[in-house]
Amino acid sequence: MPVSPLVEFIFALSAVAILISSLAVVLIKNPVRATLMLIVSFLPTSLVYILLQASFVGILQILVYAGAIMMLFTFVIMMINPSPGEGDAPMAGNDSAFSGLRGALFGLLVVGAAGACILPLVYHAAGEVAVQPITKPGYGGLDSIAKLLFEDPANNPLTVSFELISFLILVGVIAALNFSRRKSAQAIAEAIASRPTEALPVVPPRETAAPSALLDRK
Amino acid sequence: MMPHLFTLPNCLALSLLLVLIGAFGVFRRHSLIMVLLSIEVMLNGVNLSLVSFNYFRWGTSETSHYLYMLSIGVAAVEAAVGLSMIIVLFRNYNDITRDRVARLGERAT
Repeated sequence: MPVSPLVEFIFALSAVAILISSLAVVLIKNPVRATLMLIVSFLPTSLVYILLQASFVGILQILVYAGAIMMLFTFVIMMINPSPGEGDAPMAGNDSAFSGLRGALFGLLVVGAAGACILPLVYHAAGEVAVQPITKPGYGGLDSIAKLLFEDPANNPLTVSFELISFLILVGVIAALNFSRRKSAQAIAEAIASRPTEALPVVPPRETAAPSALLDRK
Repeated sequence: MMPHLFTLPNCLALSLLLVLIGAFGVFRRHSLIMVLLSIEVMLNGVNLSLVSFNYFRWGTSETSHYLYMLSIGVAAVEAAVGLSMIIVLFRNYNDITRDRVARLGERAT
């Protein structure tokens, strides 16, 4: 498969950049920096998409993903304003196997072992198929995607399902609006007090249970 | 002479590693926002595998580009709903850790 050495080089560079910045996303303590690292990891991803002849997808990755969705994340994180590392200290007695430095090493070991198990299978299976890169002119451009989606709309199942995405987004808007309706503190207290489980007898916590202080109900 | 790097197995290996890194983040982080971010990393890996399959294998149709658009639509809705839930949690409990969400039935402290 003749590919120019420049393409190979750009692909290798982008792959390394994607992996490093994605690892940074899950390892950095500060949430704002983690979000910024995710945005950084989207840029070489978009480069790989362009190498895969998916230029419109590469543009969408930057415009929609890095531009809109990640902006939503950044906005919410800056609104909540958690201090760096907040939420990463587990409750006492509720320690995850993946927390702490020892947990990071353990997790990297697990991820590495899983990768080492699955990667040879991937290479073997992908080596079995006949690979024919696409040479069609205009492939992946706006014209040809629009033709795929909207040609003969009466008989095209992709048209219907593409329009159904807008319905999904409408449902998401309604759900988000409903969540963010501000209720009074009294209403919340009443809702919590009238929970049916409140009528059940509370099992006294064992001495070793850490959140026992939170369980002493009247 | 460089070895052939830009191949289907390498693209699939890259997407597999992205999914594994995202899964590691989901298990490791306690803050709900970071769990959502790790899910975005996993989605990124899946999208990469879709598009690379289409380029190397699926002839002349752009079906997986359509699947990519579907996926980012779902990701946008997921982010919007998930983040609004996080804001409600923060407003009511002043705490957005997984451990707090696991004890939702209890009284706000």
